Amino acid sequence: MAAADVRDMLDLPAEGQPRPHKKQKVVEKRPEGITRELYALLGERAPPIAINENRYKGRPKWTSKKRVQPWRMTPFINSARSDGLVLRHWQRQHESAKVPALEGSEMDVDEKKEDNADASTSDNVPQQDSIFAKYNIKARVPNRYTDEEYNRHLKNDDWTRQETDYLMDLVEEYDLRWVVIADRYDYQPHSVDGDSNNTSALVPAKQYRTMEQMKSRYYFIAASMLALEHPPSEMSEAEFELHEKMLKFDADRERSRKELAALQLNRTADEVREESVLLEELKRITANEQDFITERRELYSRLEVPISVGNTTMYQSSQGLSQLLQTLLQADKSKKRRSILGPEGGAAPSPAGATPAPNAPSSARDSRADTPNATPAAAPTNKKAAAAAAAAAAAANKEAQQQAVRTLTPAEEAKYGVQHHDRLAPGVQFRSDRAQKLTQAKSNVQTQKLAAALAELEVPLRLVMPTERVCRDFEKLIHSVNLLLEARKVSEKVESEIRVLEAAKEEREKKAKEALEKDGKPEVKSEQQEDQPLPAAAEESAGDAEGQEKGATDESGEKAGGAGAGEEGDGPSHKRSASVLSNASDKSTKRQRK
Amino acid sequence: MNPSIPPSTAEYGGDEVSAIVLDPGFSTTRAGFAGEDTPKSLIPTYYGRYSSDGQSKLVFGDDIFVTPRPGLSIHNPMGRDGIVEDWDMAEKVWEYAFTSRLTGPKPGNPLQNGLNDVPEGELSTEMEGVETEEKLLADSPLLMSEPGWNPTKSREKTIELAMEKWGTPAFYLARNGVLSAFAAGKASALVIDIGASNISVTPVHDGMILKRGVQHSPLGGDYISSQIRALFKSNAPQPITITPHYLISSKTAVDAGQPPQAKYKTFAPDRAPDASYRTLLEERTLSEFKECVVQVWPGPNKLSATGPNGVSNEELAKSSPGRPFEFPDGYNQVFGVDRYKVVESLFDAKAAIPDPESAFPAPTPAQTVPELIKNALNGVDVDIRPHLLANVVVTGASSLLYGFTDRLNQELMQMFPGPRVRISAPGNTAERKFGSWIGGSILASLGTFHQMWISKKEFDEHGPNIVEKRCK
Repeated sequence: MAAADVRDMLDLPAEGQPRPHKKQKVVEKRPEGITRELYALLGERAPPIAINENRYKGRPKWTSKKRVQPWRMTPFINSARSDGLVLRHWQRQHESAKVPALEGSEMDVDEKKEDNADASTSDNVPQQDSIFAKYNIKARVPNRYTDEEYNRHLKNDDWTRQETDYLMDLVEEYDLRWVVIADRYDYQPHSVDGDSNNTSALVPAKQYRTMEQMKSRYYFIAASMLALEHPPSEMSEAEFELHEKMLKFDADRERSRKELAALQLNRTADEVREESVLLEELKRITANEQDFITERRELYSRLEVPISVGNTTMYQSSQGLSQLLQTLLQADKSKKRRSILGPEGGAAPSPAGATPAPNAPSSARDSRADTPNATPAAAPTNKKAAAAAAAAAAAANKEAQQQAVRTLTPAEEAKYGVQHHDRLAPGVQFRSDRAQKLTQAKSNVQTQKLAAALAELEVPLRLVMPTERVCRDFEKLIHSVNLLLEARKVSEKVESEIRVLEAAKEEREKKAKEALEKDGKPEVKSEQQEDQPLPAAAEESAGDAEGQEKGATDESGEKAGGAGAGEEGDGPSHKRSASVLSNASDKSTKRQRK
Repeated sequence: MNPSIPPSTAEYGGDEVSAIVLDPGFSTTRAGFAGEDTPKSLIPTYYGRYSSDGQSKLVFGDDIFVTPRPGLSIHNPMGRDGIVEDWDMAEKVWEYAFTSRLTGPKPGNPLQNGLNDVPEGELSTEMEGVETEEKLLADSPLLMSEPGWNPTKSREKTIELAMEKWGTPAFYLARNGVLSAFAAGKASALVIDIGASNISVTPVHDGMILKRGVQHSPLGGDYISSQIRALFKSNAPQPITITPHYLISSKTAVDAGQPPQAKYKTFAPDRAPDASYRTLLEERTLSEFKECVVQVWPGPNKLSATGPNGVSNEELAKSSPGRPFEFPDGYNQVFGVDRYKVVESLFDAKAAIPDPESAFPAPTPAQTVPELIKNALNGVDVDIRPHLLANVVVTGASSLLYGFTDRLNQELMQMFPGPRVRISAPGNTAERKFGSWIGGSILASLGTFHQMWISKKEFDEHGPNIVEKRCK
C-alpha cells in the first residue's frame, strides 16, 4: 500500500511529502601543492593515495633577536598608602627604552626612570608606584560643620553633637554603606562626658537607632551643608537635584516600606503558591483574550466578504456538486499534482483535462458530456430526485432519532438545536443568508427604506448571531417593517389625495361661491364625494401585500401614515403621486360601484 | 599562554607580593602562598607533648598520628569556639605550618647550631654584637583569618605575634566568612561554615561582615562524632567499641555483625600513650565513618515527619539500602536508618541521640542550622535579606556530609518560600574544605589589596589597637 492510500484513508492532505533534496555536490577543496590543471585531470574522485606530504613544523621564527628580558624582584610603593610600605613583586626588566611597551604606559615611564638609576639603588629606593593606587576612591561626604554652623543650623533635640559627630565619622569610614553603618553603630553617650561620677545619673537609656533615623539625620546634615556651601539658587543642576532628594527623605515612609518588605519576605508557602497561581491565571487569561480577539477578527473579515449571489444555485444539486468536483479534479490534474482521489480518480481522464481553472464552468459542462458515467443521476429529474432523497434522509433521520437511546424532550431539543422539518429545500444554505435576503427588497428604494427603518430600530443589517430563534424573530421583524412601510406609503397616498381633494373642494367652493353669488347652490354632495376614496385606497394597497391581515394593517397603516406625513414635507412627488392616486381612486370607486 | 609575556595586570587585577596566608582552624591549620589555589601546608592544629629523657618534647603536624610514644598526650591550642586559648602553643603550631612547607626553618645562630663548636672560654666577644637571626617572616606579608566573633583582645594579640615575633613587614586580619564569600566570587553572601568545632552563619555585605547577624553554635563535626559514639554505644546486637589502628596487630575477616577477631597490641602502663592520643585516633576512624556512611536526610521534611503519602520519612529511610562499614578491628556492620539519625540533630534539635557521657550538652533548637540562619537574617537589614538568600555560600569540611546541601536547600525553601534561594557550594572537595584559605589567597594577591595591609611602621606608631581600626 502506498503512502498516498493511507493518506487518503485518513483524510490527510496529500502534500505532506516534500521531495527529497537534491544531493549537494560536494566540492572538494584542491589540496595545496597541486596545480589547478592537474587537479582538474584527476576528475571527481581523488586517487586513493595521499597527495599531501607530512612535513615537520620546522623551526619557529623568532620575531626578534633581542636579548631575553629578565624578571626581577622589584620593590614598589603604593601611593594610596600613607606610610610608604615597600612591597616586592616580580617585574620584567626592560633592557632599554627602545623596547616596545608590553604593559601600561604608566608603568613603562616609571621603569625607564628606574633603569636610569643604578640597579643597586633601585633595590633600596623604590620609585615605582603600584598601578592599583588609582583605584583608591573614597565616597564623597559633605564638609564637616564648624561649631557655629552646627549651633545655628543643625541642632536637633534628638541628636547630641557628639552622636552626630559619631554618625558622620561612621559614614565616612564605611563610605555610605548604610547596611554596614547600621550594623556597626554603637554609640556610647557617656564615653564623651568623661567624668565617671555622673555617669550613673546622666547616662540616658541607650537608645537603639534605626537605619532610617541615621539616614534622615545624615541627609538633613548633608543637605544643609550643601545649602550652606552654595545657596540653592546658585547650585548646579546635579547639586540641586541631590539637595532636593536629600531634603525629601521621609523616614516614616521608608520604615513602612521596610515593614512591607519584611511581610513580603515572610510569606507562607500557601500565600506564595496562591500568588503564583493567580499570576499564572492572569497570564492564561490575557493569552486567551488575545486568541479570542484574533479569531473574532478573522471571522469578521470572512463575513465582510461580499456574498456571492450569482451562481451558487447551480451547485445546490448533487449533479452540480459532482460537476464542481470534476472541474476541481481537472484543475488539479492540470497543475500536475497528485490528484485528490488518487489512482482511481486518475482512471477517468478527459480531453478537457488541460483546460485551465478560470473557465471552469464551461469546461465542466464539456467534461460532463464526455464522461457521463461520472454523473449517474439523470439530469432532468435531478431536482426532484434530490428533494426526494432529502425527504427520505429526513425521514430516516426521524426514524433514527426515534430508535435512538432516548427521545429528546422539547427543552432538550431547544438546547441542542434539534429541528424537525416537514420539507427541506435541496442543497445547503446559510441561515444568515436567508435572513440577509429578507432585507433585499425588490426595488432599490424600498431596500434603502428598509435599511433606514432597521437603523432607526438599532438592529444591524447583518445579524451578529444568526441563531435559529434570532432568525425567526428577524424574519417577523422584517415582515412587520415591510407592512408598516407599505402602510406608510398608503397613508401618504391618502393624505395627499385628501389634500388634493380639499384643494379641489376649495376650488369648487370658490366656484360655487362665485356661482352662489350668481345662483346660490347647496354643498351637500361634495361632502359625500370626499368620504369615499379612503377605504378604497387602503383596500388596494392591502391587496398588494397580504389579504388576511387587512384589518390590522388598516389601523397601523393609519398611524404610520400620520407619522410619515408629519415627517415628510409635501414635495413635487406628492403632487405626482396624488394625480396618480386620483386616477387609481377613480378606478377603485368604479370597482366598488360595480 | 605565552610564558614570556605576563598577563596584563588589568586582566585579573593580581599583583603578587609573595604574601603568606594563614587560616587557623580548630581541627586543621592551613597555610600557603597567596595566589595559589590550595594551601601548601595543611597540618592538624592538635599537637603532641611527651617527655623523654626528662625533657618535655613537642610533636607537630602529621607526626602526631604516627608513633604512640609513651606518655604522648594530645592538646589543642584553640578553644572549642574557635578562639585561641593557649597563645604560646598556637604560635608554635602556626610557626610549624610556615616552616614545614613554606619558608623552611631559618638558619639558626651559627654559634648554637652545633656546627661551630668552640671550646669553652674561647667565645669571641665580637660576635655578640651581631644581630640575632632573621625573623621568621621577615620578607612575606601575612594575611590571617579569624572567626567573626573573635574578641578584640585576641585580635590584638594576633597582630602582636605577627609583628613582633615573626617580624612580618605587613599584616592583615580578615574574617573567614568574608574570605569564604570571596572564594565563591561574591562580595555579598550568607556564609554557612560547617567546621569541626563550630557551625557559623555570617552575613557578608560588600566584603564586610554584619556583626549583628553573625551566629555560631557548637554543632560541628566533633558534635557529629559524639553523636556517632552515642549511636555505637546503643548499637543493637552489641555496642561497638572503636579500636584505633595502632592497637591492632592483626585481624581476620568476620561476617557482618559478628564479634571481631583481632589480635590487639598491648602497651605497658608506663609505655602507653595518653588517653587523648587514643581519642584523636578514634576521631580519625570516625571521620572515615562520616565520609563513608553518614548521610543527611535530604528532605523535604524532617526525618521524624510524615511524608505526603502517609509514609513516615523514617520508614522511607529504612527502605533505602544500608551502607556497610568495617572498623579497624575487622568488625563490620550495615548501617540503615541510623546513618541518618546521627546528623539529624543539625536540623532538628529533638532528634539528637541522648548520651549523658558526651562532652556536648543536648542541642537547643536555637543551635540548629535553620534557626541560626533565621536569626542571622533577622539581624540584618530587611532590604538585603533576599539578596543574601540568593547568595548562600556553604563551606567547611563537615558540609561535605552526603546530602547536606540538598537538605539545607529544602529547609531554606521551606522557611522562605517567597524569595529565590540559591546555594553556592563548590563540588570540589578541596574548595569546600579550604574555602576561607582560598579566599585569603585571592584577596592577598590582589593589587588593590596592597593599600589595606597594616605595615610594621603603622603598628609601631599606633600600637596593636590599629587592627580594630583597619580590619573592619
